[in-house]
Amino acid sequence: MFAVFRDLIRYNVEFAIGLVLVGIMVIFASLSFFSPVDPSMIYMAIPDQPPSAQYWFGTNSRGQELFWQLSAAFKNSLIFGITVAVLSRIISITVGLAAGYLGGWVDRVLMFINDIFVAVPIFPILVLFYFVLRNNMDSFTMALILACFGWPFDARLIRSVALGLKHREFTRHAVFAGMSTRKVLLEEHLPYVMPIVFSTFMNNMLWSIGMEVTLAVLGFTNINNPTIGTVLYWANSHSAMVVGVWWWIVIPVILIVMTFLGLFLLAVSMNEYIDPRSRLRRMGA
Amino acid sequence: MQGYFYFVAKRALLMLAVIFFGVSAMFLVTYLSPIDPVEQVLGRLSARSNLSPEAIASTREALTAMFGTGQPMLTQYFNFWTRLLQGDLGASLMAFPTPAMELVMRGMPWTLGLLLTSTVITFIIGNLMGGLAGYFQNNRFFKAFGIVTMGLQPIPYYIVAFIILIIFGFLWPVLPISGGFGMDVRPGWTMPFILSVLQHSLLPALSLVLVGLGGWFIGMRALVSNIVTEDYVTYAELAGVKRDTIVGAYVMRNALVPQVTALAMVIGGVFSGTIITEQVFNYPGMGSLLVDAVNAGDYSTVLAVCTVSITAVAFAIFIVDLLHPLLDPRVRAE
Amino acid sequence: MDRRSFLIGTTALGALMAAGKGLAFAQDAEGSAPDLTQFPRNETVIVHNPEGIIRNPAWFNLWAVGAGNGTSNGLHNLTTDTLWFIDPDAGVEGASENAVYNSLADDLWQYNEDFSEMTVKLKQGIYWSDDVEFTADDVVFTVQKQAATPGTPYNGAFSNQVEEVTAPDKYTVHFKLKKPNSRFHTLFSVRWTAAWIMPKHVYEGVEDILSYDANPPVSIGPYTLHSFDPNGTWYIWEKREDWQRTAMGMIAEPKPKYVIYRNNISTDNRLIEIRNGNLDMVHDLTPEGTFSVVQQDPQIQGWFPGFPYAHPDPTLVMAIFNHQNPKFQDKRVRWALALMLDARAMSMASYRGAATLSAISVPPTGTHPRDYHAPLQDFMINYEIDTGTSKVKPYDPNVGMQIADMVRGQFGDAVPTDETAVRNAFGYGWWKQNIPAAEELLTAAGFTKNGNQWMQPDGTPFTFSVMVPQEGVVNRLGVIIAQTWAQNGIGAQAEVDADTWGRQRVGNYECNIAWAVETWGGHPDLSFFMDSYHSAYVAEPGASQPDRNWMRWKDPRLDEIIEKIRGIDFNDPKGIEYGHDFVKLHLEEMPNIPIMAYNVFSIQSNKYWTGWPNAENNYANPVTNWSNGRYIFTQITPVAGA
Repeated sequence: MFAVFRDLIRYNVEFAIGLVLVGIMVIFASLSFFSPVDPSMIYMAIPDQPPSAQYWFGTNSRGQELFWQLSAAFKNSLIFGITVAVLSRIISITVGLAAGYLGGWVDRVLMFINDIFVAVPIFPILVLFYFVLRNNMDSFTMALILACFGWPFDARLIRSVALGLKHREFTRHAVFAGMSTRKVLLEEHLPYVMPIVFSTFMNNMLWSIGMEVTLAVLGFTNINNPTIGTVLYWANSHSAMVVGVWWWIVIPVILIVMTFLGLFLLAVSMNEYIDPRSRLRRMGA
Repeated sequence: MQGYFYFVAKRALLMLAVIFFGVSAMFLVTYLSPIDPVEQVLGRLSARSNLSPEAIASTREALTAMFGTGQPMLTQYFNFWTRLLQGDLGASLMAFPTPAMELVMRGMPWTLGLLLTSTVITFIIGNLMGGLAGYFQNNRFFKAFGIVTMGLQPIPYYIVAFIILIIFGFLWPVLPISGGFGMDVRPGWTMPFILSVLQHSLLPALSLVLVGLGGWFIGMRALVSNIVTEDYVTYAELAGVKRDTIVGAYVMRNALVPQVTALAMVIGGVFSGTIITEQVFNYPGMGSLLVDAVNAGDYSTVLAVCTVSITAVAFAIFIVDLLHPLLDPRVRAE
Repeated sequence: MDRRSFLIGTTALGALMAAGKGLAFAQDAEGSAPDLTQFPRNETVIVHNPEGIIRNPAWFNLWAVGAGNGTSNGLHNLTTDTLWFIDPDAGVEGASENAVYNSLADDLWQYNEDFSEMTVKLKQGIYWSDDVEFTADDVVFTVQKQAATPGTPYNGAFSNQVEEVTAPDKYTVHFKLKKPNSRFHTLFSVRWTAAWIMPKHVYEGVEDILSYDANPPVSIGPYTLHSFDPNGTWYIWEKREDWQRTAMGMIAEPKPKYVIYRNNISTDNRLIEIRNGNLDMVHDLTPEGTFSVVQQDPQIQGWFPGFPYAHPDPTLVMAIFNHQNPKFQDKRVRWALALMLDARAMSMASYRGAATLSAISVPPTGTHPRDYHAPLQDFMINYEIDTGTSKVKPYDPNVGMQIADMVRGQFGDAVPTDETAVRNAFGYGWWKQNIPAAEELLTAAGFTKNGNQWMQPDGTPFTFSVMVPQEGVVNRLGVIIAQTWAQNGIGAQAEVDADTWGRQRVGNYECNIAWAVETWGGHPDLSFFMDSYHSAYVAEPGASQPDRNWMRWKDPRLDEIIEKIRGIDFNDPKGIEYGHDFVKLHLEEMPNIPIMAYNVFSIQSNKYWTGWPNAENNYANPVTNWSNGRYIFTQITPVAGA
């Protein structure tokens, strides 16, 4: 894996840009661990101050320093995205490898379920869960629900790779050597699907954070918890843009674009890496 | 031909399974909802009016009888399917006694119209540009186009829609920012009405198109740039086949197959996008209906919107799947 | 680039450009939205209706409950009428007395000696829009039909109270009540809404009035339906040819030929649309939105010419404790929570300082400061509570002045300096934040402090949720209240809910930020909310509580006051005295913490129409969804040359 990253940084400018962007955002988000203010408190600073030396990102109409507010928001959103991605990766790897390697009716059943999950529109379902759970829908519950719906695309991708691996020489050797199915999958096949897992990890984060933003701006989440979505929710409920508190919208949007673009570039360039032909072309071979 | 028949049968089965499982899951989730529709209606009625406590008590009794909320779950589930198969999902609670299905049907043309046109426009432009960009890899125009769409693609729908609203509604107010059509036109197949509808749908559609373009562009560009290195393309080039034939008939056509599969997969996602778009632009449709219904605790309508969207999305996927064999001879043969 | 790909490219571009051109053309032809070519602005007023999308847009029958129809879409503002209107503000001079209008009635209500019978004289010469004369038969039908039909809005009220209703002659109605009720006329007195009179000739032929859509509606107001949006987002009403034959027309001619009500407009869009001239009246905006739009557009006005702009609704926002929850049984705990709050922080957080505070359980609006706040000011200043350790005088009469000084930095001359003006705009005073006194009260109630967390007498931490709505000033107020408590060792957390009204009704909350007090506004009588405070109406936990006693407060002394009020006339001056008794009882018990008036940022644009009501000319309530606002249309005039 390390060699892969080195190659990517050296030969793929998109990967490098993505890494820098995501790196900046991760550092920014981690700053909230050293935040001098509690981000859930309101009216701790003078409201509506534009960005200045004292308040780098200005303050919002709720009297919060946007710098620390956003830092906490990005921390929470990134953690949320990672939680969803990790959980849904577990499902998609399990399903993908099992379906690809075992084949037969296991494959058919798993892929049938997979197709159902692909086809169900997720947003109405999420809204429905909010409808039922209301304020019991905290970020972890939401992460769980999203994870349950975030795996099918990727499971299918992993399955297709696993299908190819199944007939490879080394698999047969391993099976003859008496390795259990679990061992074959974990030790022999998993490393091959890691690039896909990595790239879909980023894509999944994009998707889940986007979903969180969407739900939050409608007010369908716990809006006391600072996240990217709830920052925008509050900005809206104070008509921030139309009354001229532009920094309350513009700065988060810039940061969101940076984050999303960064994650996206990482995913795309990793995807390209998986396909050796385009990689070779890029390296000038 | 028989192969095609099996293919269709398999896909149709999947569609039915999706609808069955999806709808059952939804029924279960709404059934478990702690919200009592009767109290919801009462709350709406008596807010700000001077109803006597006696009046409220007698109204409550009447409402409970009407909504049938007291029955056991299996009975409600069975009734639900019976009614669903007749196209009847019960009376909406927020517009009692209008059938929930009627509300959905009123919103559906708007949502479907927005979804369909924006998806088609996005698909065509995105793939065309992506294909050309993949083939003419050094063309500056396509490169610039790629950077712009790729920059837009990862941004959440809501933000793009909101920025468009601010620009065209506030900073440079040239386009209508709310409603489905103007107040001085009457619905009907008349020119002014159609123009008014188009004009009102411009901003919502634009936001959907802008966000959607990037995905197709990137996908198509990657596919085409891979295909052009295939042996058969090199062979065709060496054999002196015209370049436009190569682009059109050999490269784009082959690259389109996975893109059509992908189309089936994004329809559900685009549907989520339209919900947001409708909220931002006060556009009539199923999305805003769903949000209203959730806030009003109207579970008949929530169920109806969800059922119809699951069915519609499953059906759309089925249709796209049917197109698949026409493009890809390998599927036809299978 | 070779020929074919060039062609593909150019065709695509050409198609795009053609499409763009077509649309640009469409736009030239249609003008900017909304398209009002048919509705010249000097004849048309456009009103913002705060309802969401109307889900049953073709339904105009107001006598069926919960049909999903629009109400404040012009229907209850322009086409309905009943016997009296009571204005939340002063009322049009000459047309109303003491804020009471005789609308379909020709005179005030006439009760017999023991309030068991009421006689009403009706106006003559009023016609429905289909040329049928309005008579006493319509009133009798309205009462009898609703009393006999469950599912109509006044079914319970009429069937429980009315023994017999008759029409001795064409223009007289006589009610015999089942038991004496000196407030029976309030069922027919509009405060937001009331029992609207039904057109007998239309509804007597309808078999099931609950499934009758009344499209188009027969109107007894000066307007009839012109057209409406089948998607439920706008309604257009046209002035009747015979507008003189309506009660409103008898006051003055309504000026606009067309009135358009538009609903489902988000806060940001409202601001954009009024600035673009596509709205004349906006129901409400955020405080920030109002401050910014009155600056951007000098033609736009609020209720006050300067800060705080907002119109005070006769509604009192408060922290409501659930009295059926064991945590809030002790009045010392409720008082401690009140003394922990900081009036300035609450005013700044919710209204950016534009709040009208009230420490007593009467809204500081309409004529109430004259009847309650000013006379009780000395009582409040000398009010003393015993914390168990010390005696404190918690009232701060100058907190309004301090807030005025705080906002003067930002708004300068827009903030009044005259003491009376400041008191009317910012309130007569509130409790001084007094943490030591609050802690003494908690200690006296058996609470102990463990680190920075107060523990209840049973040893568990004192934590509870503060329920707030999703948006608006009440949301902000609730968040700052929860935060202030949390900072002082109470485990209070704000909980946002989309359905606070539903949960409040069934008592599914611990502390709720909402209003449990609403009054007529222009009239000192408090029965509008107080009657429902009677302990006979308090519901079991989990069951629905009838309107307004959301805290489910029970007190025999309270019942006694309520019964005394029921026994006197609406205009009896003793009513104010009993009102004072109520205020003092409330202070002693502190069942909820009154905070401020629910101020609504209703704004109007003078671009096309002028003559809107405001604090100096307070002839009507500008809040557009009140039915009482109809009189505005008789007072406005088109702006010349606009």
